Amino acid sequence: MAGMAVLAALFAAQLVPVERTNPPSSGALSAPPRIEATLKRACYDCHSNETRWSWYSRIAPVSWLLVRDVTLGRKEVNFSEWGSYYPATRRRKLEWIGRALREEKMPPWHYRLMHPGTRLTEADKAELEEWIESALATPSAQRSK
Amino acid sequence: MELKLILSIRADSMSMFSKFLLAGLFVIAQAALAPAAAGAEDSVSEIRFDNHHFAPQTLTVAAGQPLMIKVVNSSKETIEFESFRLNREVAMTPGETITLRLPALSPGSYDFYDDFHQDVPEGAIVAK
Repeated sequence: MAGMAVLAALFAAQLVPVERTNPPSSGALSAPPRIEATLKRACYDCHSNETRWSWYSRIAPVSWLLVRDVTLGRKEVNFSEWGSYYPATRRRKLEWIGRALREEKMPPWHYRLMHPGTRLTEADKAELEEWIESALATPSAQRSK
Repeated sequence: MELKLILSIRADSMSMFSKFLLAGLFVIAQAALAPAAAGAEDSVSEIRFDNHHFAPQTLTVAAGQPLMIKVVNSSKETIEFESFRLNREVAMTPGETITLRLPALSPGSYDFYDDFHQDVPEGAIVAK
């Protein structure tokens, strides 16, 4: 009986609409090709408008959690909207990205578990940190395309 | 036998006396420390977000002592109270209040901002 109730709840959950959007870019980040490739591989699913919505993003309640994570991730930093950031905002974002790398907070462990290809090697981290340092050294931080 | 009994009673009463003495000292120590604790609670500062602004925009605090800052989101929008120098980032829903416990700050300026709205003027906590 309880099993039937759970199944019914899961079925009903599938009927709740969730928006898996990828809005158009409004000034994507321009960075060296290797940096862009690393960011796209490890960060863009949550921090850009180029999210690769996986098959399980269509199954509630996982879909709700994913949409919430992506929405929050895009608010924190969105590489597809890099060009719309003020120079001071870019600077702050770069500083936080650097800290997240050093403290190994990004990509999050549960995301790395589901997507092993998003793990950053020591070489990736070193390149990203070097890029961040050089970007912070420029007056307007890293420009957009 | 009687002597043993008297000694044991005396030992017991001494231990009871020690306990009372310790309890008394504890109460006195608590009473003595209470004003300091109350003082620490009194030093809670407040930053309020409303109408797309933080108020006060500059908050002056004492350097060299831990502090608590209450942040109130009185607006109707979700914000993220963030400070890189203070290593704090907290998303706040409309009407939400948070309390930040900060360690003793070195003298200087610590900027804060709403990370979700870059057009919101940034504020600063100035430790003197």
